[in-house]
Parts: sequence; C-alpha cells; structure tokens
Amino acid sequence: MSGFSVDSPGRRISNKVAVLILAVVCLSLPFWVGPYWTRIGTGIIMWAGLALSWNVICGYAGYISFGHVAFFGIGAYSTAILMQPEYDWNFFATLPVGALIAGGLAAIVGWPVLKLRGAYFAIGTWALGEAIREFATVVPFTGGSYGLSLPPNTSSAFFYFTMLGATAAAYLVCYVLLERSRFGYRVKAVRDSEIAARMQGINADRVKIQAFVLSAVIPAVLGGINAYWITFINPESVLNTIFTDQMVVMVLLGGLGTLWGPALGAAVLYFLSQQFSAYFGDNTWYLVFIGILVMIVVLVLPNGLVSVLPGARKRGVLNQVIGGVVGGVSHKARNADTRTLKEAHHDRA
Amino acid sequence: MTVLEVKALRRAFGGLVAVQGIDFTIHAGEVVGFIGPNGSGKSTLFNLLTGVLKPDSGTIRLFGEDIVGRPTHVIARIGVARTFQIPMLFWNMTLFENLLAATVEDHWETAQSRAQQVLELLELQHMTHHQARDLSGGQQRLLEMGRVLMRDPKVVFLDEVAAGVHPRLREIILVAIRRLREQGVSICVIEHDMELTQSICDRMIVMDTGKVIAEGSFDAVTSDPTVMKAYLGDMMP
Repeated sequence: MSGFSVDSPGRRISNKVAVLILAVVCLSLPFWVGPYWTRIGTGIIMWAGLALSWNVICGYAGYISFGHVAFFGIGAYSTAILMQPEYDWNFFATLPVGALIAGGLAAIVGWPVLKLRGAYFAIGTWALGEAIREFATVVPFTGGSYGLSLPPNTSSAFFYFTMLGATAAAYLVCYVLLERSRFGYRVKAVRDSEIAARMQGINADRVKIQAFVLSAVIPAVLGGINAYWITFINPESVLNTIFTDQMVVMVLLGGLGTLWGPALGAAVLYFLSQQFSAYFGDNTWYLVFIGILVMIVVLVLPNGLVSVLPGARKRGVLNQVIGGVVGGVSHKARNADTRTLKEAHHDRA
Repeated sequence: MTVLEVKALRRAFGGLVAVQGIDFTIHAGEVVGFIGPNGSGKSTLFNLLTGVLKPDSGTIRLFGEDIVGRPTHVIARIGVARTFQIPMLFWNMTLFENLLAATVEDHWETAQSRAQQVLELLELQHMTHHQARDLSGGQQRLLEMGRVLMRDPKVVFLDEVAAGVHPRLREIILVAIRRLREQGVSICVIEHDMELTQSICDRMIVMDTGKVIAEGSFDAVTSDPTVMKAYLGDMMP
C-alpha cells in the first residue's frame, strides 16, 4: 500500500514548515506559560481531536453523527471504572479498553445504521447517544447519576502532554489513512457517490464501518484522558449532547472534510468560549454568540476558516453532506441548470 | 466465447414491470447496442446486470458464473465497468483522484501513470487538479469514460455515454470506445443517437415495454416493422 501525493512540491514544503512550527509551539507551551494557559491548551488539544473524529465520519465519509458523545462517554467510563480502587488499573492501560469498546460498538451499531442515509443516520446516532446516557444513568457500575470519582492527579503538564500525544497520534493516523493511502480514496469515493464507488469494486459497507470505527476510537481515548483530568464524571458531564454539538460547530467553523479545519475550529471556538466566560461569566448569551458566528462563517466562508489560509485548496464538502441530509438533493442536481449554461458557454468557446 | 448470458430476467417496481422476461447473450469482444424508446427498460436492465438492482427472477451468467444476488462491488471485481445515465462522479475529488479511485481495488501500483495517460487521451490534462464538479456536462461523461478505461475491464456497460455531448468531445468518447474494443472488451451501449450506434455496434438489441422485440444487425432491426411501430407508434404509414 503506497500513498500518492498530488500536491505541488512547494506546497508540501510550506506544509512541512507549518507542521514543524506547530509542533514546536505545542511541545514547548507548558514551559513558557502558566498553569492557566496550559489548561486552555489542553482543552484546545482535546477539542481538536474530538472535532477531528467527527470530521472523519462527516467530512470524509459523509455521515452526520449526532451521537458522537457516546464514544467520548464510553472512553470516560472505561477509564473511571477500571481506575476504581477495586480494579486499580494503570491509567494508560485503561485507554485501549475504552477504545476497543467504542470501536466494537461502532462496528455493531454501524452495520445496520450506516445503511441509512442523511437525516435517518443522524437520528439513529442521536438515539445511540441518548441510549448510552440512559444506560450510564441506570446501571450500578457507573455510579448512576451520582457518577464516579477518579484518583486525583494535579499535574497540568501531565494532562497537557497526554492529550497532545493522543491528539497528535490521531492526526497522524488520520492523515496517513485518509490523505495518503488507498483507504482515503475509498472513503471519499463512497461519500461522493456510493453506487459509483461500488461500481469501481469498492466494498462500500465495509469502508463505511471502518471509517465509523476510526471516528469512534479517537473520542474514546480522549474521553478516558478527560475523565482522569477532571477527576469526577457523571452522565451530565461526559455524555451531554452539547459535546456532539460543539464538535459539529467546530468542524463547520474550521472547514468540513479538511485535515486542519477541525483543529483550527477547535482552537478558535474553545479560546473564544473560555474568554467569553472569563469576561461575561457562564451564561447562555455564549450560545447566541456562537450561533451568530456560525451563521457568518457559513454565509461568508462556506468552506470554513481553513479556506482563508494561504495555499488552501478549494473544497466544499458541505453541500454534499447537507444535501444528503435534506433528502438527497445533491449540489449537482441543484446546479444542473447552471451546468447546462456553462457547457453551452464552453462549447461556444 | 459467451461472456454474458441472460435468461428470463424480470424486475417489477410495484405494478410496473420494467423488465419482463428478457433473454440474450453477449460474446467476447462484441459491441452490442441497446435501443428502444424511453421507459423501455434499458437502464433498469443495466442496473440489474451490475447488481445495482436485484432481479425478481431469472439468471445472469457472467463468464459462466451466476451473479444474481452478488453485490455490485463483487460483480465489478469480476471485470465489469460502467457509466451512468446521469453521471455519478466523485464530485469533491479532483479529476486525477477520480481516476485513482477507479483503480483503488486493483492495479494500484501503476495507477498514477495510467491516470496521466487517460487524462491525455480524454484531453483533460488542463483540468487534472480541478474538482469533478467544475466539469461541464460533456466533460463529466468523458471522466466517467476515463474511470472505465482505468478499470481495465472485460465487460463494459455504457448508458447514454454520448448524450448531450458536444461533437468534439463525442469524438473523444468514440476513440475511447474503439480503444476498449481493440483490447477485446465486450461492450454494451445504450444510445439514442442512431448514427453513433450504427458506427460502433456489431449487433443491436431493441427493447420496448421491458421486452426484447428485435435482435440483429443495425439494418435488419431498423427495417423491422415491430421496431418501427415501437418508435413511431400510430404514425406508421
């Protein structure tokens, strides 16, 4: 399996320089800022990973998941339960367990649910999120609505670097799989036209499940780290639908279907939300502010903030994905008239 | 050698029987034209043959193997490629990526150089890194043809591949079809343009209301009274 690069050499070099600068900044941040900004940094990195995971299933595979918080919560509870005194697992050993359970659940649920298209898939995954939350509330081993406490760890640098390691690994895996390997071509082909993809010999059912599993494993790991970080979890704090909503908004803000869009969206939104609550306190006006921000971005920059970066490729998967949700009106069908005009123009030329 | 053998193939949509008991055979290296009025079941037939739709009854033997009930991707991997009446491209991928995606399940190692060659043949090199959705209607059909060429297929189904295409682009499509033919590929073509059909097809199968009403050479079927009635109806003298 070999990867193909279709970028120009100049673009690849500038990309490498940008990644290098980002890596240096990320790796050195806790050494030149205080614990407050290290915590902000940890939050941004976690959300960058969560937004990335949602982007995998939506931006790359074309399925809008409204239940992604389920995987985050599964990771959180796996770590919390296994770190209880009666089991007393090592923190790092708990992370693969959460990832395995979330990945397995994604495969089992994905099998029937990924046969649904558009809004039906969104409703199906939303129900999954609700079901997992109800489950966590009623079963005894999760502590029900009281939740679970974890052994405290007060080192903010520890969580910063653990979160950074997990998110960086997630980005690396997604970059290799989705942008530099055959798997990426399969996923994107299925997103753009499932029947045509099958006609090229692509096993669309399997590809969709693989993408869903990939997008489920990432939030599970981050959820486990987050549980240890916040030292106390309950269904309200780690299975709240607001988590999914925020992933959606970050991806749309940053740029759907792009590798760096989710990270950019996460950084901007998390930073703004922290600043907002620092200056105006925790109130619902924040949601109004987010709503206006999203409207501006969708209207002015439909390809997200990432499209204003120098050398950004013009993409715009939004139409494809949203088109699927509102009843299969693809952008193509809507542009049919303009296309005929364009063609006529082309033919005349 | 028989490549495709269809027997008593039937498919209904509710009360409408789109394909009602069709039999025909396609031989190796043959170019067969499927003609008939709109709604005569041609596209449904292609969808049945490629596993996009499942037949209610009947058999489809591809290289002697019954493929009824096989998923589309399995049929594709046997060596079947097709174009769609309404182009189904990978809209958010570039032309180059569209071609690579066509060959992602086989011949991946040589994909890049072959994609370049195909883009040259289709005279689309200047659009290599444009998204498929930037293409004009005619160019979209070219790219669908390009995906077929990338697949290195044994059997090809072309569903109105030249419909609404500018004569210059149509010429390129014809070159591509001839190239496939030289490679010994069996080709089934749905086409309303009689001139084009006549120039490329060895044999014609005429359909009307889900049935085969005539079969044979172009001249034979076009002078067949049943065919003329199907096309002209009561306008027949």
